[in-house]
Amino acid sequence: MPLLELRNVFSSYGSVQALRGVSLTVDPGEIVTLLGANGAGKTTTLRTISGLLRPTAGEIRFEGHPIHQMAPERIVRLGISHVPEGRRIFPGLTVRENILLGASSRGRIARAQLEEEAEQMFGIFPEIKSFEHALGWTLSGGQQQMLAVARGLMAKPKLLLLDEPSLGLAPLIVQHLFAAIRQIHQRGTTILLVEQNAHMALSVASRGYVLETGNLTVQGTTHELLDNDEVRAAYLGGHQAA
Amino acid sequence: MEALANNLQVLFQGLALGSIYALVSLGFVLIIRATNVVNFAQGDFAMLGAYIMVACLTGAGAPYWLAFVLALLAMAAFGLLFNFGVYYPLRHRSFLPVLISTLGASIFMQNTVLAIFGAQPRAMEKVLNFDGLHVGGVFLDSQYLVILAVTMVMVAFQYFFFEHTLVGKKLQATSQDKDMARLLGIPVALMIAITFLYSATLGGLAGVLVGPILFVSIGMGSIIALKAFAATIIGGFGDVKGAIVGGLFIGVVESFAAYYISVPYKDAYAFLMLFLVLIFRPQGFFGEKVSEKA
Amino acid sequence: MSAREAKAAAAQRGRFSPWAVVVLVVAVALPVVPFVAGVSHFVLSIFMQATTYAIAVLGMVVVLGYTGQINLAQAAFFGFGAYGLALGTAAYGLPFWISLAIGVGTAAVAGGILGLTTIRLGGHYLAMITISFQQIFDLVAVNWIEVTHGPDGIPGIPRPSVFGYALTDDRAYLLLCTLVMYLLIAAVWWLPHTRLGRAMRGVRENELAAEVVGVHTLRVKVTAFVLSAALGGIGGALYAGGFAYISPDNFNFNRAIEFLSMALLGGAQSPFGGALGTTLLILLPEWLKEMPRALQFIKDVYLAIYGLAVILIMVFMPEGIWGLLKNAWARARKAPPAPQVLRVKPLDLDIRITESTPMLRLEGLQKHFGGLRAVDGVDIEVRRGTVHALIGPNGSGKTTTLNVVNGIYKPTAGKILIDGDDVTPKSPHERAAHGAGRTFQNIRLFPTMTALENVIVGAQRDNNPIEPGHQALRNRALSALQFVGLADKAETAVRNLPYGHQRLVEIARALAGHPKLLLLDEPAAGLNQTEKMELVELLKRLREGHGLTIFLIDHDMGLVEKVSDRITVLNFGKKIAEGTPEEVLRHPDVIAAYLGEPGHATA
Repeated sequence: MPLLELRNVFSSYGSVQALRGVSLTVDPGEIVTLLGANGAGKTTTLRTISGLLRPTAGEIRFEGHPIHQMAPERIVRLGISHVPEGRRIFPGLTVRENILLGASSRGRIARAQLEEEAEQMFGIFPEIKSFEHALGWTLSGGQQQMLAVARGLMAKPKLLLLDEPSLGLAPLIVQHLFAAIRQIHQRGTTILLVEQNAHMALSVASRGYVLETGNLTVQGTTHELLDNDEVRAAYLGGHQAA
Repeated sequence: MEALANNLQVLFQGLALGSIYALVSLGFVLIIRATNVVNFAQGDFAMLGAYIMVACLTGAGAPYWLAFVLALLAMAAFGLLFNFGVYYPLRHRSFLPVLISTLGASIFMQNTVLAIFGAQPRAMEKVLNFDGLHVGGVFLDSQYLVILAVTMVMVAFQYFFFEHTLVGKKLQATSQDKDMARLLGIPVALMIAITFLYSATLGGLAGVLVGPILFVSIGMGSIIALKAFAATIIGGFGDVKGAIVGGLFIGVVESFAAYYISVPYKDAYAFLMLFLVLIFRPQGFFGEKVSEKA
Repeated sequence: MSAREAKAAAAQRGRFSPWAVVVLVVAVALPVVPFVAGVSHFVLSIFMQATTYAIAVLGMVVVLGYTGQINLAQAAFFGFGAYGLALGTAAYGLPFWISLAIGVGTAAVAGGILGLTTIRLGGHYLAMITISFQQIFDLVAVNWIEVTHGPDGIPGIPRPSVFGYALTDDRAYLLLCTLVMYLLIAAVWWLPHTRLGRAMRGVRENELAAEVVGVHTLRVKVTAFVLSAALGGIGGALYAGGFAYISPDNFNFNRAIEFLSMALLGGAQSPFGGALGTTLLILLPEWLKEMPRALQFIKDVYLAIYGLAVILIMVFMPEGIWGLLKNAWARARKAPPAPQVLRVKPLDLDIRITESTPMLRLEGLQKHFGGLRAVDGVDIEVRRGTVHALIGPNGSGKTTTLNVVNGIYKPTAGKILIDGDDVTPKSPHERAAHGAGRTFQNIRLFPTMTALENVIVGAQRDNNPIEPGHQALRNRALSALQFVGLADKAETAVRNLPYGHQRLVEIARALAGHPKLLLLDEPAAGLNQTEKMELVELLKRLREGHGLTIFLIDHDMGLVEKVSDRITVLNFGKKIAEGTPEEVLRHPDVIAAYLGEPGHATA
C-alpha cells in the first residue's frame, strides 16, 4: 500500500483553479520528486496534502486513511511534516528553540529526550551547531534552510514534504543540503520533494512527476526523466503539439 | 535641594503612572503580535477590572486579597469571552471591520458598566493601610510604591514566562508565523485564546492598581488606552520591551509637563507626542522601519 | 452615467421603481408636516438634531464609505463648524453666514491636514492620529476658556435670515436644515459617478492598483478628508444655530463614535444609508421611552446594545441596513441590464513611432532588501513597438524589476527611462501619466465596481489623449472592453466575473489609458489552456502594427515564445542571456538556470 496517495485532486485558491485532477503515489521508503515551472502548482500540491488548503474534489489518503478534510494540526500528528517554501523559521527565536518546537506535534516529551534529539539534528546539519543560540533572522539563507529541515524532522515524520529547498541558494550550499537530504532518506524517512531545479532533484529521487499548470504531464523513474525533452519543455516550452 | 526633591517627586509619580500605561500597553502589544489586531477596547479591560474590584470590596464587603483574586479571574474569563465573541468571528477579515468591532466592544463594555453602576465615579481603597514613606523630602505614596513593585514583578514574570517556558515559546512562534506554527502542530487557536486571556488580565490588573489614585469611572479606560497606544508606537509598534519603555516614558513626560507647563492639558501631551512620533518617526524607538509597499 | 443616460437606462428597464416614488413623496411631505399639523417643540428639536447630525454622517460616508479611510475625528470637525458660528456671531458679532463660512473653512483646513498624514500612514496609524486629533480638540475646547468659554459653553447663538426673513420659527429653521441636508445628500449621491468619486472608490477597493493606474491617491485621500470635514462643519454650524447654545461635550470622542456607528448601521457606502442610520439612532431612544414598562430597562442599556450592534454589524452585515436592502433588491431583480452597445468605436491604440530610441531603458538597476540583492546590476533596452519578455527561475528578480519600473519600489541604484524621460524619482501615478500601463500577477481590480467603472478609472489617467468630458471616458472604456471581448459584461461587478474574464478586464483597464508602454506581470497566471490561447491571440493583436511596446514577465514559455520579439533572462538578480526566443530558450546557461546543471545525477 502506498504511504501517500492522491486521487484526482482538484484544488483552488480564490477563483484560480491551481490543481486539475492530480493523481500520484509515494511508497514507503522512497524519495519522489514533483517538478515543474513556477506557477505549475507544486507548492499548491504540498499545501493541499498538509491541510493548509482543502481540495475542492478528489481524495488524499495517508496509510490508507483519508486526510483531505483534516486540519493541519491533525495531519502533522499523523506523521506528515511539511517544510514550506521560503524557509519560514521563526526569526525571533534561537536555532535551538526552533528545533525544539519542531516536536510540538508529538505531545509531552521529556526535556532530556528532546535535547538528545536536537543533538542528532545537529549531527545531520553540523553547519548550524555553532549558531545554536543565535536568533533565526541572523542566519544565512542556506543555514535557515537547514534549520527548517531539521525542525521538520523533529516531528519524527513518516513522510517529509520539502518545498523547493534549493530556492535562492548558491550551488555549493545546495550540494550540502542535498547530501543531508540523502542522509535523511537513508535513515528511513520517506520524502516528497518539490523542486524547480530538476537535475538536482533527480540526483536524489528514484521517481518523479512533472506538473504543468495544474496537470501532471510526465511521470517516470529518474532514468526515464533525465534529459527527457518533455521535462525540458515543461519549463522552457517547445512542446510539439499546440 | 528642594527643587531636586520636587523633581524626584514628579519623576516618581511619572514612573508609577507610566507603569500603568506600560501594563496596558503590554497587553495591547501581545494581542497585536499574536493576531495583528489593534484592540481599541484594551483600556476598558482596566476599567472593567477596577469596577469588579469595587463591586467585590464595597458591594460584597470582601477582604482585599479575595476581591483582587476575583477581579483578576473575572478579567481572565472576560478575555476568553472577548476572544470568542469579538476576535474569532472576524479573524479572516481585513483590519477595518476588526478595528471597528473592537471600538464596538469598547462602547458595549463602557455602557454595560454604566447601566449597572451608574455614572457617579467610585472610590477604591488603597492596598496598604498607610499613606506612604517620607524619604529625604520626597513623599512616596504607598499606592505608587505598590504599582511600581507589582509592575516589576509582572515584567519579571513576563520575561520568565516568554523566554523560559515552552508555552511562552509557542506563543512567540504563533505571533511570528501563524501558519508555520500550525504546520508544526502548535494549537494556534488555543495560543491566541491564551493571549487574550493574559492581556485582559494585565489590563484588569492595571485598573485595580490605579483605581485608588484616579477614581474609578466609566471613561478611565479610554484615556489610559490612548496613552498605551501612544506608548506602543513610541516604543516601536509591536515591540514588547518598547511597549514597557514607551509607557514609562509617557508617564514621566506627562508628569513633568503637568508640573512645569500646565495641569489641565495633562492628557494632551501624550497625544501630542503620539502625533509627532507618527509624523516624524513612525517606527518609534525600537521598531523596524515601516515597510515599503509591495 | 450622466443624468440623461440614467433616466434612459431606467426607462429601458421598463419600470420606475415604486420604491423611489414612495421615498420621494415622503421626502417632500415630511418638512411640510410641521406647518400644517401641530408639532411640539421637542419633536422639532429631535429632527433638528437628526438633520444636522445626518449632514456630519454624510462626511463619514465620503471619507469612510467611499474612500475607505478611517476617520474618528468627525466630531471635532462638527465642533469647528459649531464654534466657528458661535464665536463669530455671539462673541464677535459677525453675520451668520460669514461665521458659518469661517467655521466650515477651518474644519476643511483641519481635514486637509489630517488627510496629509496619510502620505506616510494608513490603517491603524490613521485611526490613532484621528483619535488623537479628536482628543486634543476636546481638551482644547474644555480648557482654552478665554476663547471657547470652556465647559460653560457659548449661549445666545442667533438664527440666520434668509432673503430678509429671520428664521426664528423652529419650523422654518428645520426646513432650512432639511433642505440643506437634501441638497447635500443629492451631491454625495452624485459623487461616485464623477471622476473624483470613481477615483475614491478605487482607492478604497485597491489603493495600489489605483495608484498604478494613474490615480493621484494622496490627493484623493486629502480631498476626501477635506470634504468630510467640511460636511461635518456645516452640520455643526447648523446645529449651533438651531440650538442657540453649545458646549464641549457635544463634540467629543463619544460623539465621533456615534457618527461612526450611525454611518455603519445605516450603511456607510450610501448617503441614504447614512441618513437612515442617523435617524434610527436618534429616534431610537425616544421611541424606547414610549415602550411599555416591562421593556423600559432597554432605555438604560440601549447604548450598550448598540455597542454590541456595531460588532454584529461588522460580522453579519458590514454594508449596513441600506446595503442589506440594496442586495435584496438586486437579487430580486436578477440580471443586470446589458448596456446599449451602439456604435462603439474600435479601440485606438496607435502610438506613432517617430524615433528608434528604446521605449524603456534600465541602466545599472539595483534593488536591495537589506542584505538581499534582488536586482543586482541589470541593463535592459526595450525597443519601441516590440514585445520584450523577462524570464527567469523563481526568485531571480523578475517581479522586483517590474515593480521598480512601475515605481512601486524605489531602486537602490540605477535609472529608469521611459521614452527618453528619466522617471526614476516619479511615483507610480506619474509614470502612468507618462504612458505606462500595468497589470498584476494577482489580479488587482476594484471588486465591487463594474467592469466598465474599472476600465474608466484606467482611462482617467492624466495626459490620456482623449477628448475631455465624461462621454469620451465612457466611450474609451467601452472600446477597450470590446477589444478584449467583454463589452457585454460592462455592467457586471468584476467580483462576479470568472477569473479569466477578470484578467481581461485588467488588461482593458490598462489599455484604456492609451499606454505607450504596457507592463504585464504574469498575464497567464491562473489561466487554463483555452484562456491562455485566447490571451496569446490578444497579445498578438496588440502587437500588430499599433506601435505599442510591451514588457512582460511569464513562466509559460510556450506563450512567451509565441508573442515575444526578444527575451531577457535573469538569475540571482543578474542578466544571464538576452536575444530572440530561439537563441535564448536553447541556451545552455538558461537551461541550467531552470533545470540545474546537467550531470549532477552522478553526484
